[in-house]
Amino acid sequence: MTEPVLLILLSLTSHPRHGYAILQDIERMSEGRVRLSTGTLYGALRRLLEDHWIERFHGDDQSRGKQAYRLTALGRRNLQQETSRLRHLAQLASLRVARKEA
Amino acid sequence: MLSLYSSLLRLYPAAHRREFGEEMMHVLKERQTAANRRGPLSRIACFAQETSGLLRGAFQEHARQMIFPGPLSFSPRNFTMRSEFRFPKATALLMAIILLVVIMAIEKAKAISDSVPHTNAAIGPIQPAHLTIVPTLLIALAGVCVIAALSWLVLFALHRSGTQRLAQLDPSSQPRSGTGLHS
Repeated sequence: MTEPVLLILLSLTSHPRHGYAILQDIERMSEGRVRLSTGTLYGALRRLLEDHWIERFHGDDQSRGKQAYRLTALGRRNLQQETSRLRHLAQLASLRVARKEA
Repeated sequence: MLSLYSSLLRLYPAAHRREFGEEMMHVLKERQTAANRRGPLSRIACFAQETSGLLRGAFQEHARQMIFPGPLSFSPRNFTMRSEFRFPKATALLMAIILLVVIMAIEKAKAISDSVPHTNAAIGPIQPAHLTIVPTLLIALAGVCVIAALSWLVLFALHRSGTQRLAQLDPSSQPRSGTGLHS
């Protein structure tokens, strides 16, 4: 899973968001380090929709420009697996680095 | 700038434009408005990023549609393809046989090359094998293409080609193909 995809999924964990809100949240989460372009965002959203990791959310604002997305159960499960994999990797890296320094 | 974004969006495949065009234009407007408020440098940076992002995105979407016209998913653990893209087992076997024949032909050519002297008064020095390997491979590739085309013609004549078999299927009785992770 690439970093942009991971950040998009993380952005949708708490509640549904539309495209611009996702971009803002990613910038906030990464402290300005990751700034996705609109083309990149919608390429990733299209793939995630196809894979049923996210779905369209029809809230109060029904305009196409404000189309919101939310995580599906499958997306949440896969995100949990990915975070667990990353945690394991980070622990392993810490151990190895510490051993090398000792 | 917005008119340029709108023009760049036209580079996307029609299906993608229909599904996301309006949303993307809305996001581009909001981003550009926010960048305009931050100053000229921010405006230029935003413009450069969005322009390159749209160009790259359009290229990727066209490439994806050319290679995989339908939904397709990749995953290291779960690789699934839509049935249109599955090779019949006979095709895989045929390709393996062709590969085996090509390898055997190359080995035979090497044996012949080793068995003859490298200088001949009548025809002059024989060129080393590596100078002839490229044309040999090209001929082999052309041969493979011809064999594949003939095989397909036979399958087509027998009404057993992939598209013909798919056309005979009843879509209502087919379960939707599974999907996995593509990131």
